[in-house]
Amino acid sequence: MTKPAVVLIGGDKGGVGKTTVARTLLDYFARQQLRVRAFDTEVPRGTLKRFHPDVTDVVDINHVPDQMRIFDTVNSTDATVSLIDVRAGLLSPTLHALRNIGFIEAAKKGEITFVLFHILGPSIASLDEIVDTAAYLGDAKYFMVKNFINNTYFFEWDEATHAAYFKRIPGAVGITIPKLVEMAAEQVDLASVPFATFIANQKQSGAPASYSFVLRGYVRHWLETISAEYDRVNLTDILEAKESSRPPIGRPRPIIKIAES
Amino acid sequence: MSDKTTPLYVVCSPCRRVGKTLVSRLLTEFYVVNDRPVAAFDLADEGPQLADYLPDFTTIADISETRGQMAFFDRLIADDVGVRIIDLDRRVFKNFFTVVHEIRFFEEARHRSIEPLILFIIDPDPKSAKAYAVLRHQLAQVSLLPVRNQIETAAIPYGDAPSKVNMAPTSLDIPLLDFPLRALMDRQSFSFSRFWRGSPADLPASLKPELSRWVERIFFQFRVLERLLGCA
Repeated sequence: MTKPAVVLIGGDKGGVGKTTVARTLLDYFARQQLRVRAFDTEVPRGTLKRFHPDVTDVVDINHVPDQMRIFDTVNSTDATVSLIDVRAGLLSPTLHALRNIGFIEAAKKGEITFVLFHILGPSIASLDEIVDTAAYLGDAKYFMVKNFINNTYFFEWDEATHAAYFKRIPGAVGITIPKLVEMAAEQVDLASVPFATFIANQKQSGAPASYSFVLRGYVRHWLETISAEYDRVNLTDILEAKESSRPPIGRPRPIIKIAES
Repeated sequence: MSDKTTPLYVVCSPCRRVGKTLVSRLLTEFYVVNDRPVAAFDLADEGPQLADYLPDFTTIADISETRGQMAFFDRLIADDVGVRIIDLDRRVFKNFFTVVHEIRFFEEARHRSIEPLILFIIDPDPKSAKAYAVLRHQLAQVSLLPVRNQIETAAIPYGDAPSKVNMAPTSLDIPLLDFPLRALMDRQSFSFSRFWRGSPADLPASLKPELSRWVERIFFQFRVLERLLGCA
């Protein structure tokens, strides 16, 4: 039987493209026919929910009932994957809290699959987050995501700095998200549909749309490149890992308040 | 959407002064002579350009930025355009085929009953052969026909007889032409379609038969190409 999987997408800086990466993952999971539920922590209106309303709930990650909604139901939900788009500034506190409730331990015991997509920004402060994050990871699968939304170089031009940070976490795997043509990104945003729906020239309702063929082509090419990255790191195999012979996790300890940094 | 397939010609070369605009003119005026709707697109930025010769049939396009690409490619696959002819300047060559490849333009065109044919004007320059090889590899599903323009590159061997109708041509051949006729043809006021329908007043009578034979030879090849594309 497949273990439940929790996928966290976060980064401690705003504007690095967390929700964009979350959207590409939801499209990828749909193509792989993985049952997924998503949690959007941008209360009150959400950002991810606008694009994937059918599978996304807006939650307040600081709110205990919402925390219970997410983590107490990991085993009981029909979804194979629970994806959480963590608001800027809450990644480290969320990881801290997950450790305190035994979540990291459960992942270490093989009871759940825990995957972290850490979206890096272009500044050295973002690289410092890697050091902070390393303390909480345990056996989580850690992906360091270079999202080229700003044509940043991620310090690849400075080998010493690059090596110092990017090799800090053993077993970390790099994922590259190329830049999407700005006009295409704007049009998808305006259309408020998943990337796959935009490519198919449809509205959220499934009715035909009239998006530019050129922009649809750019989005398709971009999404295929990203899907190839997810294939390369065997993401589906990771998420569909089978349960160990150990008994399922018990009721976790009470959730503590996640303080914003 | 029409059931009939219409052709889309891309006249191109990575080299300059090989006769892309001449071939584009001839193609466009072939359809004018046959009263077929035709739209030509000029992606040249060094003149004289196709738009200078055929302003009534030509749209100047700029695909250096996304907005221009949308205006150009989205229009190319619209229903009401007719035959499409693109005069592709060498400076835009790489960008054009990169965009075409990324957005799968030719695949979409085919889906809409538009049959693409790349007319690649060959040249002794090594980068011509290299570019041709790359196109053959990258666009394996698209028809790619070398064009031998004897007027600009006489070093390339020329076949004597035009292709028979039921044989697939291995190249499109633009035969050599005497200098006086070449000079006449280069004038922006000269029109192949007007010539075909009746002699221009300033064409010496002695030159008319040669030019007629030359144009007929080329138009014959165009007719063969159309049949092979399934567009006739």
